Amino acid sequence: MAIVVKLDDLLHAKRMTLTDLSDRIGITLANLSILKTGKAKAMRFSTLEAICTELDCQPGDLLAFEADS
Amino acid sequence: MPKTHSTLLGVTGGLLWLMLALIAVLFLLVIGTGAALVAIWPEIAAEAKNSQVFLDAATMRPQLFALLGLFAAVLAAALYILRKLQALVASAASDPFIPANAGRLRHIGWALVAVQLLALPLGSVARSIAVPTSQFADMGGINLNGILSILLAFVLAAVFEKGAAMRADLEGTV
Repeated sequence: MAIVVKLDDLLHAKRMTLTDLSDRIGITLANLSILKTGKAKAMRFSTLEAICTELDCQPGDLLAFEADS
Repeated sequence: MPKTHSTLLGVTGGLLWLMLALIAVLFLLVIGTGAALVAIWPEIAAEAKNSQVFLDAATMRPQLFALLGLFAAVLAAALYILRKLQALVASAASDPFIPANAGRLRHIGWALVAVQLLALPLGSVARSIAVPTSQFADMGGINLNGILSILLAFVLAAVFEKGAAMRADLEGTV
């Protein structure tokens, strides 16, 4: 997919695990895994907001666009 | 799921089993009648003549066999529909919006079409052997309720298809 989710990098920078994030923002670990591995088809604004709030980042830090080669 | 819904589903499931049992009984009746037509035809013909319902009781045995055959086919279609409904009810307990249910409803729709098509020869055969004013001559033929249920089944199939697509979309949403 041309949209890349950089959740792994963000979590690494914040020294946080996926489980920690899941506990703090109240989104299941299963759903966060789907997001992290790039298998998600869509993302709610509320999810984006919760992650950005918790990781203190901008949506652009989480998502990036890479043209398909 | 709200409790009332699960109760309703349970009742529906029970009713479906009851109807399956009824169809089994009707199948046995059709077989029994067929056997009687073979074994004790003279007595049946005499009885039919006395009832004054039939035009020519002595020569109507082939038509009666045809009626029984059509009945058996209608019962088979009803059995098919009930089995599909059972599967629908079973899936409604967890997640009914799956592509398989859209397929089931479409199959039910076609089975209802088959029942309506079988009702046409059923009606014409019945009319050909019975006195026009009798109840016997009223059976079969085009039925408005039947056509309505066909439309309903196909519309519901389309709705479920859409629902299944929306559910699939939602499942990939985080």
